[in-house]
Amino acid sequence: MSDDWKLKHVSVYAEGTDKRLLLSDVNLTFKAGQITLLIGKNGAGKSTLLETMTGIRQLSEGEIRLGEASLWIMDSRRKRLDHKVALKLGISMQSSESQWFASTVRDEFLYSLKPYKVAPEAAKQRMESALAEAGLSIEMLERDPWTLSGGQQRRLSLACLLACEPEWLLLDEPTAGLDAVGVRRLCAVLEAHRAAGRGAVVATHDLDALLPLADAVAVVSGGTIREAAAAAAIAHAAAAPQALRALAELRAEAALPPQAPLRSGGAPWPAPREVAAALAAELARKPRERAGAAVRAVSAAASCGKSESAAGPSSANRNGVPSAAARELLRSDRFDPRSLIVVYFLLAAAIFAQKTFLELAIAGIFTILLLIPFRSLIWPWIRIIRAYAIMIAILCVIGGLSLAPISFDGERAFPIFIRFSKLLLIMLLGMPMLKLMTPMRLQRAIEQTFGWLSRLRVPIHSFALLVTLIFRFIPLLTGEWGRFAKLAHARGKAVTPLKTVPVSMLRSILIPYVRSILRLAEQMADALEARGFGYAKARPTYGFLLRFNRSDAILLLIAVCSSLLLFLTAFLQ
Amino acid sequence: MVESQMPQPILKDVSFRIQDGEWITLLGQNGSGKSTLAKVVAGYRMAGMTGQIVRGMKTPFQGRPIPIVMQQPEAAMIGATPWEDVVLMLEQNELDAERITIEAELVLRKVGLGERLHQPIETLSGGQKQLVAIAGCLAMHSPLLVLDEVTAMLDPEAAGFVLDQVRALHQSGVTVVWITQKLEELRQGDRVVAMNDGFIVFDGQADEWFARGAGGVQISICEQLGFEAPYSAQVAWELEKEGVKLSPFPFTAEMLAEAVKRYER
Repeated sequence: MSDDWKLKHVSVYAEGTDKRLLLSDVNLTFKAGQITLLIGKNGAGKSTLLETMTGIRQLSEGEIRLGEASLWIMDSRRKRLDHKVALKLGISMQSSESQWFASTVRDEFLYSLKPYKVAPEAAKQRMESALAEAGLSIEMLERDPWTLSGGQQRRLSLACLLACEPEWLLLDEPTAGLDAVGVRRLCAVLEAHRAAGRGAVVATHDLDALLPLADAVAVVSGGTIREAAAAAAIAHAAAAPQALRALAELRAEAALPPQAPLRSGGAPWPAPREVAAALAAELARKPRERAGAAVRAVSAAASCGKSESAAGPSSANRNGVPSAAARELLRSDRFDPRSLIVVYFLLAAAIFAQKTFLELAIAGIFTILLLIPFRSLIWPWIRIIRAYAIMIAILCVIGGLSLAPISFDGERAFPIFIRFSKLLLIMLLGMPMLKLMTPMRLQRAIEQTFGWLSRLRVPIHSFALLVTLIFRFIPLLTGEWGRFAKLAHARGKAVTPLKTVPVSMLRSILIPYVRSILRLAEQMADALEARGFGYAKARPTYGFLLRFNRSDAILLLIAVCSSLLLFLTAFLQ
Repeated sequence: MVESQMPQPILKDVSFRIQDGEWITLLGQNGSGKSTLAKVVAGYRMAGMTGQIVRGMKTPFQGRPIPIVMQQPEAAMIGATPWEDVVLMLEQNELDAERITIEAELVLRKVGLGERLHQPIETLSGGQKQLVAIAGCLAMHSPLLVLDEVTAMLDPEAAGFVLDQVRALHQSGVTVVWITQKLEELRQGDRVVAMNDGFIVFDGQADEWFARGAGGVQISICEQLGFEAPYSAQVAWELEKEGVKLSPFPFTAEMLAEAVKRYER
């Protein structure tokens, strides 16, 4: 029998600029030997909760305990994941099925099993039974996971999870994209897991398939979570299960009396057979008797059946965005990229011209003043800025140090400090730029400025498109790395700080990462071709052109004035 | 052993015809070849393909494939906002320069994204991203919308919203190939095409797809192919066992209620 899983006062904040509350003060107990469903709309925090429970995401407040053991233990100064607890949890994240680390299915299993230190014989046994349970043949072991079909890859990812024999299974949308056979198999796996006295927590939208299995349901909504009875929980789901919609429609047409049919068995709705029996009985009655019942039933049905249609597109922007004025300033189509670049060069040149400490300080003040309106765009870079500052300090120490005799020469360290600080300021100025222009506007800027070069047979249009694509690709690269870091924690059970990959795992992650990037690029190329890119054109077509507007003028004016002042201070001294 | 080393064809001897203005629901389990069929329909060049494709529809694509919307539309999104994305796509496809921005805004409104023209793509929900991709295809006056499991990764709410939008587009005359595994997305009047193991195993109306012969004793094609029938269809089958045969065969909640209501009269 495994232990219960207790969450006490758990709160989680979003990482990055806006410290948005993702989960607030969650108190919940998951009982061993039960299947708990997490339901709620997209963006309500279901995935966040699962990731928090497994320690892939750090808690801001509260504690998580599995039995007596805490998931996080306080080390000398920072919280560390308890390796023993982490081993008891197996999580399958959304779309983790297409992230393979090894070149054969067998190695893939071994990768998952590595943290468990299983003896080779036992590992073989576990692989075989996990494959059988997930519905894959043993011959698969020698295949390259990438060559499996989509459905097989999903089964393999489940098999890898099962091979670890975790006490707790945490699944995020396990039925998404799965066919009917796959769903039935998944349900069987979950039932077997429960029968063994172990627990499972499943975040899902698929109530039709999974609600009949559930022992408990927790409704996630706006960062809070409450437990609910299965039947009551349905009202909070994004869409009513088909059965309830059918019943509501039938009652609206007065084809069924409001209470009938009585349900039996696991699901909180009657089986088709029971509905059919009640319907047949109703149809056999005299039509006249039923006419009176019609009016009563309509009101009851209307509340249940059609609630889902209204809420369509509302789920998009939940981000805690800054005030309207600030958002207006930070909009990516506010400034002409050309003016941004001119401003940047002007200011960079002015900063470069500074020589003494005092001048540098003035330049620093100017930079900071200029950046204040854009501060929220700098925030994401704060770690890089910190690292760079530390680097400057180290270089200064090394530069000023002389060994025989051991002494520190400030005179020698000083120029290093000045030079690198200037670079830091210029770097800071550049940071908000990426967010202030979209790749498309940058492309347009290049084409509008250098378009005439194409007459000299310079392939400027291809170059401009290339720049756009590179800019589009960079966030994909970092996003993918973040996913791999998460996987390292989920499957590799790494206990290093989150979002980083332990050095020992770098080697095993790097190659799959590059592979995955290449696949992304290939997908992108395919998709672009499908959308009409990459076919030679006689002349480029422009649906819109950049125009120099008032905000550009203001920005330029400010930049010219400040750089003039800086130049003056530099040359007058 | 040798046989299993031979490359298996993904599609085998497939012939079918798409009528203008049709809604085709293409069904198939994982790995049945339905995505490949979609690509062939859209006119992608596939390695090792034999046979013939005749396109009678007028397309503005001069020999290029028709755009397909897939499960994950992010891969093909280049613009940073819905507006930019559609404008870029139209520019690449050489629409009339003056019409581009007007056309882009028009289609984005048509799919219900009118208020989100300039919202950053990454803050859109999955369903809204799908609609941006669909808007791109519409703006190019594609004669055919090929949608490959666009709702598979969406929550039911978003999935319903996307389906409703595409149904509305179909009402306005667009031909749609809707690929899915979810039978509850079927509607009355759809042409159902089912694939299994590379073959088209069924091509006809939903009635036949769900038909159980002789008093509900035999199993239907739907069950033979291992699909989970919608709840309403299951109720209707049970009713057939009780001796109540509803017509037309209901497979949505609305149809079931309607059929039951009409049965008594």
